[in-house]
Amino acid sequence: MTTLTKPTMHETRTGLSRRRFVLTAAGSAAAGATLGAPAIVYAAETIRTIGLGVSIINEIQSRASKDTKLRVRGQALGYGALFGKMLNQNSTYEITEGYFNDMDVMIPSKAWQPIDTKRIKNWDKISNLCKTGALTPGSSKGQGDAPFRHLWLNKDGSRASGPSQYVSMVPTFHNADSLGYNPEETKRKIESWAELFSADFKGRVALLNVPQIGTMDAAMGVEAMGLMKFGDKGDMTKAEIDKLVGFLIQKKKEGHFRAFWETFGQSVNLMVSGEVALQSMWSPAVTAVKAEGVPCVYAAPKEGMRGWHGGMAISSKVTGKKLDAAYEYINWWLNGWAGAFVARQGYYMSNFNEVKPHLSGEEWDFWYGGKAAAKELSDPFGTPIVRKGEVRDGGSYEQRFKNIAVWNSLMKENNYLVKRWTEFLSA
Amino acid sequence: MLETAPPHAKEHQTDRFHGGLIGRQPTPPQDVSRLKKSKRDQGFHPGWLVAPATTWLIVFLVVPLIGIVVFSFWTPKSGGMTPDFSVANYVNFFAQEGFLDTDHRNFLKPSIFVTTLWTTFRFTFTVMIICLIIGYPIAYFLAMQVKNFKWQLALFLLAMVPFWTSYLIRAVAWLPMLGRRGLFNKMLQSLGIIDKPSSFFLYSEFGYTMALTQLYVVLCIGPIFFSLAKIDKAIIEAAKDMGATNFQVFREIILPLSLPGVAIGMIFLFVMLMGEFATAVVVYGGKTSTTGTVILNYYAIANYPFSAVNAIMLMLAMMIGVVFILRIVDIRKEL
Repeated sequence: MTTLTKPTMHETRTGLSRRRFVLTAAGSAAAGATLGAPAIVYAAETIRTIGLGVSIINEIQSRASKDTKLRVRGQALGYGALFGKMLNQNSTYEITEGYFNDMDVMIPSKAWQPIDTKRIKNWDKISNLCKTGALTPGSSKGQGDAPFRHLWLNKDGSRASGPSQYVSMVPTFHNADSLGYNPEETKRKIESWAELFSADFKGRVALLNVPQIGTMDAAMGVEAMGLMKFGDKGDMTKAEIDKLVGFLIQKKKEGHFRAFWETFGQSVNLMVSGEVALQSMWSPAVTAVKAEGVPCVYAAPKEGMRGWHGGMAISSKVTGKKLDAAYEYINWWLNGWAGAFVARQGYYMSNFNEVKPHLSGEEWDFWYGGKAAAKELSDPFGTPIVRKGEVRDGGSYEQRFKNIAVWNSLMKENNYLVKRWTEFLSA
Repeated sequence: MLETAPPHAKEHQTDRFHGGLIGRQPTPPQDVSRLKKSKRDQGFHPGWLVAPATTWLIVFLVVPLIGIVVFSFWTPKSGGMTPDFSVANYVNFFAQEGFLDTDHRNFLKPSIFVTTLWTTFRFTFTVMIICLIIGYPIAYFLAMQVKNFKWQLALFLLAMVPFWTSYLIRAVAWLPMLGRRGLFNKMLQSLGIIDKPSSFFLYSEFGYTMALTQLYVVLCIGPIFFSLAKIDKAIIEAAKDMGATNFQVFREIILPLSLPGVAIGMIFLFVMLMGEFATAVVVYGGKTSTTGTVILNYYAIANYPFSAVNAIMLMLAMMIGVVFILRIVDIRKEL
């Protein structure tokens, strides 16, 4: 009977909602009925949410449905399909679990509505990484589409010059990527992005085949080698792209690259099957390689990592009760449970202090603290993935995020970049 | 002569001649109008029969196709397009910066998109030839050497077995075969032919061509097998009786009669291979671009007009290819 007596977030905000009215009516009408009856007459709002496989996971949306009494329907898409759908079909979803590097397109398109932070329960608990760009005072803000550069909006949806009441997305899960390597193959510790182009690993290197991100990893490499200096790696000029692609084409012709991967699974396979010694990699992929019994280390390059940040956006088509429900789903994401779920896959949450109670002490110390695992730890589905004594590569949360070199970005010269990238792959 | 000859004379005439490729045909009744069936017996009007398919094609093929053509002339903007008519997308497809500038390094150099379409065609053509070289003898064996119909069918189904699993599984299965720690490398190493694993087999042009051949060869075995199986054995016997050598029989009879099957098989292969993009990612490690991947890449950055231009060019290339194949073999006539 807890559902009847305990008001939901939704109800406390809007007073006597339609749902509460229906409930009360149903309660009196169905007096003496079974416990299950109220759930049936409960006029649940349906929330359709779209995103990548990072956050659209059955267990998460089912749990959200259970906790909020909303009917949350998730659809996981590939990156290209997600981009097209969130931009062109905003009547087919209420929520997008999107990424800050898409904001140069999404904010002017007005496909999403500004989110009122006054309606976000844990807004003040969200860290400064997204609000000011500096996780701790003195942290590097990083080049490119850092969340704080795309967060603040005016009430009408236009960009605000500084902190305001309205935001483009509520920042949630995020991570920082770098290089993954097999220490038995490299025979040394990898501490710089320059190693990506080291002749020692010729023919044993893979790059991520997403032009926008692959070029950034490559740029980190040539900059670390001292070959080039970029004004902003998150927004390269045509001349910079030309020079970088010229270098990459030369390397490709020398046979430096073993492959270019597109999906998480491909990157895992390349490492597990021994095809590559070193490659650009996502953090959970390193965990997956280790789960296969193949040694794999996640490098913490001295130049810093490449960060990315996700969040929750609301379609501009959503109004009324649906809008209340959309806010309810976002608030649910910030209550800590979902943050703990994604933490066990290696992702971080913007309001990490709410996540802490949902993780065991050992889990918190390992995933956020960067300390050795005090016991064997499991992924969110219960499969053991971390052995006792293991240390997460890349250090603590703070170590990673106070030294972000560049954030995933959408460049102004994106079309040119894709063209030159095509030339690189065909070379 | 036919008009004046009485019915029995005509029947007699067909008796005297060889039944031909398709055997003896029943003589049509003389007075067809007398036998005209009642309207109810005729069943549905043909219009009703083609209506579902036509509607489906119009809604899901013709309309989207028109959309693609229209969008290809629109102007891309950051995250979408505006309906401003422009041929710039087509210019960008063919030419690149400095195309008409005699001093420029890109002078009269076709753009990467033309080159990519050409690369796509080159791979397609190579694989088609290899498939033909491998597929024809298999089809020949099935149709000509295997005498028992049950065995023929069983072996043909066996050739189809790879099609029972998903395309992706068939492509991915090459990884443990060709990889650095794969079967090939292990075998060559244990035989002492190479001393350390070779990167030659996987993520290479060799591996890509090999995988494409294996993935698509069945598409040409089928049609060739059917057209070979249709050849009347009596003709071959007759030719041999008249002193033709095996090679002459093949060149003069079997090959020409199997050409429609070859043409259909080649059309299947051509269309499928030109649109290929997944195998390049899985088996070639993304180390090449096909027009398919270019379309995807521009779709992913919401430059729909340019994706549309590439799609149209790919479609045109496919049409030209199909027309070319049909010019060599007149399928209608041969069938």
